Amino acid sequence: MSQTPNPAPSSSPNPAPAPAAKPATIKIQVDGREVEADPKQPLIRACHDQGVDVPMYCYHPGLSPVGSCRICQVEVAAGPGQPSRVVAACRTPVSPGMVVQTDTPKAHETRRECLEFLLKNHPLDCPICDKAGECDLQDYSFNEGQGKGRSSEPRRKLEKRKSLGDVIVLDEERCILCSRCVRFFQEVTHKPQLTVSGLGSRSTIATFADKPLSGNYQGNIADICPVGALTLKPFRFQARVWNLSKTLSTCAECSRGCSITVEALRGKEVKRFRPRYNPQVNQHWMCDVGRFAYAPVTQPLPPEGSIVGGRLIGATIRGYNGLERVELESALAEIADLLRASSKPLVLLSPFVTQEEARAALELCASLGVAPRFVSPAPNNLKDDLLHTGDPCPNRRGLSDLGIAPIEPAAALTELASASAALLVGERVQALLGVAELAKLTTAARLVVLDVVAHDLAALDAALGVPTHVEKSGQWINVDGHVGVLNVAVPAPAGVAPLDRTLRELLEHCRAPAAR
Amino acid sequence: MKEFQRYLLDRIAAANSHTLAVYRQQGGYKAIEKVLKTPLKPEDVITVMKDSGLRGRGGAGFPTGMKWSFMPDVAKDPRPRYLAVNADESEPGTCKDRVLMERDPHGLVEGCLIACYAMRAKAAYIYVRGEYRLSYDRLQAAIDEARAAGLVGKNILGTDFSCDIWMHKGAGAYICGEETGLMESLEGKRGHPRPKPPFPAGSGLWKSPTTVNNVETIFNAPFIVERGAEWFKSMGVPKSTGNFLCGISGHVNKPGVYELPFGLTARQILDEVAGGIWKGRKLKAFFPGGSSTGLMPASAIDVVMDHDSVKAAGSMFGTAAMIFLDETASIPQVMDVTLRFYDHESCGQCSQCREGTQWLHQMFHRIARGKGKREDIDLLVSLANGMAPGKTICALADAAAIPTLAAVKHFRAEFEQCVELGRDPLAPTHAPAPELQGAH
Repeated sequence: MSQTPNPAPSSSPNPAPAPAAKPATIKIQVDGREVEADPKQPLIRACHDQGVDVPMYCYHPGLSPVGSCRICQVEVAAGPGQPSRVVAACRTPVSPGMVVQTDTPKAHETRRECLEFLLKNHPLDCPICDKAGECDLQDYSFNEGQGKGRSSEPRRKLEKRKSLGDVIVLDEERCILCSRCVRFFQEVTHKPQLTVSGLGSRSTIATFADKPLSGNYQGNIADICPVGALTLKPFRFQARVWNLSKTLSTCAECSRGCSITVEALRGKEVKRFRPRYNPQVNQHWMCDVGRFAYAPVTQPLPPEGSIVGGRLIGATIRGYNGLERVELESALAEIADLLRASSKPLVLLSPFVTQEEARAALELCASLGVAPRFVSPAPNNLKDDLLHTGDPCPNRRGLSDLGIAPIEPAAALTELASASAALLVGERVQALLGVAELAKLTTAARLVVLDVVAHDLAALDAALGVPTHVEKSGQWINVDGHVGVLNVAVPAPAGVAPLDRTLRELLEHCRAPAAR
Repeated sequence: MKEFQRYLLDRIAAANSHTLAVYRQQGGYKAIEKVLKTPLKPEDVITVMKDSGLRGRGGAGFPTGMKWSFMPDVAKDPRPRYLAVNADESEPGTCKDRVLMERDPHGLVEGCLIACYAMRAKAAYIYVRGEYRLSYDRLQAAIDEARAAGLVGKNILGTDFSCDIWMHKGAGAYICGEETGLMESLEGKRGHPRPKPPFPAGSGLWKSPTTVNNVETIFNAPFIVERGAEWFKSMGVPKSTGNFLCGISGHVNKPGVYELPFGLTARQILDEVAGGIWKGRKLKAFFPGGSSTGLMPASAIDVVMDHDSVKAAGSMFGTAAMIFLDETASIPQVMDVTLRFYDHESCGQCSQCREGTQWLHQMFHRIARGKGKREDIDLLVSLANGMAPGKTICALADAAAIPTLAAVKHFRAEFEQCVELGRDPLAPTHAPAPELQGAH
């Protein structure tokens, strides 16, 4: 998915290993196949790398192995013909010539036993559990477990909905004590917040003195929870996961550009952003700011008969009676005239425009004889040493690579005040410049806006709707030069065309002889 | 029973046997003096220990000299090395180390010095069970006395050898008696056993080479060094040498901690040491080495008490904590109590142990109260087989599964009777034990 077109000094906390330093491997046998295994990784990794499914609960490739859930049992012998035994694959180092069998009656039986114990106190409330459908306990029980429970003992009664802060709800009954969440805070954010409290069958996950969780990475523990014990408050009871369409995409909330999956209910309504494994960018994780940034992509349509107050759809120009909807063609002709009439129109791009859109904008600007710049707000205070860069411009690197210069909002507003005409292009461009400040512009400047949201600006002459980043395909380039891909996760509303197409059509109109 | 030589409990008869003065009067600190002044090389001490055939007294019976020799070569591995003494004696029935720590703490201190010298350990950590207050206080006093006398700390007895001994008080968890759980606890973490490998000798306390030994094991070291391997081998049987401390409890006339040579039969111990079953009743069953060893029926009373013979008879020598049960004891009740302990003490890491100990306990509890079902008995066996052997990080799951399997094997009829009658005919007539979840 990622490539490095412009190798640059890395600011990533997880720099990609140099391709030359390929680790020395050893040969082992997995299910009858001779395979190469990294001796530094546990056996379960060698199996997974070969596409052999070994179940896991406590093991997570982004965390240290603890070997406590005991579900990853496989049959291992030191060599062919040697006596074999069943071991936990996540805590077993690989050794040369090792013979591993994952599909033997003994291994299946051990895993079945383990599942039976795990389900002994599990509430089996799958019908009301948000995790159902993507739950490891459900999946492995289906594959390896037995159809009928043998326990007639009362199940453990614990807290069903314990709030762990603003993001996470804990269901203690569903928890299988894999301790992934505990290790996440210890090993990834390096700010331990959770612990296993209590002993044996009375153990629960807890914070010290029931303090709420804090930090920008809490949401990840709901992703890595193999069962429905940790759920996201914003996602609770929002959707059954099998109704979610999943589209590969890139997070828009900072210049890290974490690889994500956009999940939309029945392909229409964005319900969830989840991190997607990318060893060069974000590993398995993403921050909560990015995770919960639904608002910009779920803008409601404007009220019936209104133009402002929601999504900017279709083409709008200022006529004698104020803003009015017109056909796209006539709006484009109007805008082309307006731009050509101005000697030096100011073209400001949003840092959210993709490389493809930026190239189209460059062509347009070339024909107008001006250089575009992109709006570059000051860094915010969200920067940390894990993922968030604090830079709210997801495609800063890409736009800079195309030779587009940044301009600060304050400077841009000053220029706007004296410009004869201005074209503001791209998602959130008004918000980044400041909607209140734009509304104050009352000069003769003629303002053309191509954005997602419609605002009632006094200086506005024409406006065209553009898709959000989950409604378009394209590429961003992150702070380290890795390409982040956008795909169409949900359809754009009727009357919103892809921005690069709109820009090219506008270019055609600019090149055509003047209509009037 | 023929006469035999005693040494372990020789000194405790004296008044104030826990003080340095009395310990010295009785020949104390001669062994460490022999080691340091001769001087013996550390390797020589390990050789003597190996030759003596001493096996660990903490339950597994692993040869001590061999365990000491697993510590990596000091020339190749510059990490500091440690000795951890497991004094977290908490197996139901076991109470032998307590006698040594309360009555002869200097013996343990001297043992620690010898073990540290042999393994070139920088320090010894004694992890004392939290409930053993007197043991802790006496050991701490002994260490302080020894330190003041130049026997602990820098340049012991004026030689180059320096060694410190530190105490750590447990907080009442059985699992901290598991060697890796003990190390976690010593490091200040939750007492969750660590998966092996790495073994403690490779990566133990603070990721340094560590050996964990039981109190009684360490206590034997000064005797072996002073009197020689041949002397030690003259006691016991060829594969289990020396004497051991036998903690006898249950329905006997004279319960207590006794020093005995290996090779006696359980019957000899019951009749000639413990004074037979009390109240003129008959023996029904016994645990040979603590509650985690398989329950044995009365018919097995002629088993020879040494590591290999008890194992051959289908149980384990364990910590030699013999619990005798008379004919009025209800095996379902006994198992209910036993599994209540393991349910309470499971650390909760491994699925099988966390859920399995609770499940077994719930079932035994039900059966003992006459609410069992016919299929429960086979389910007990099936569950116990799902928990052990070797399916979990540590042996606590085994410790719950082994007595379960043994109890059902030898006393199946009694469980069936409880199920058929809907009550336990042997249930005690006094008020029943409190309902489930209890203890501290």
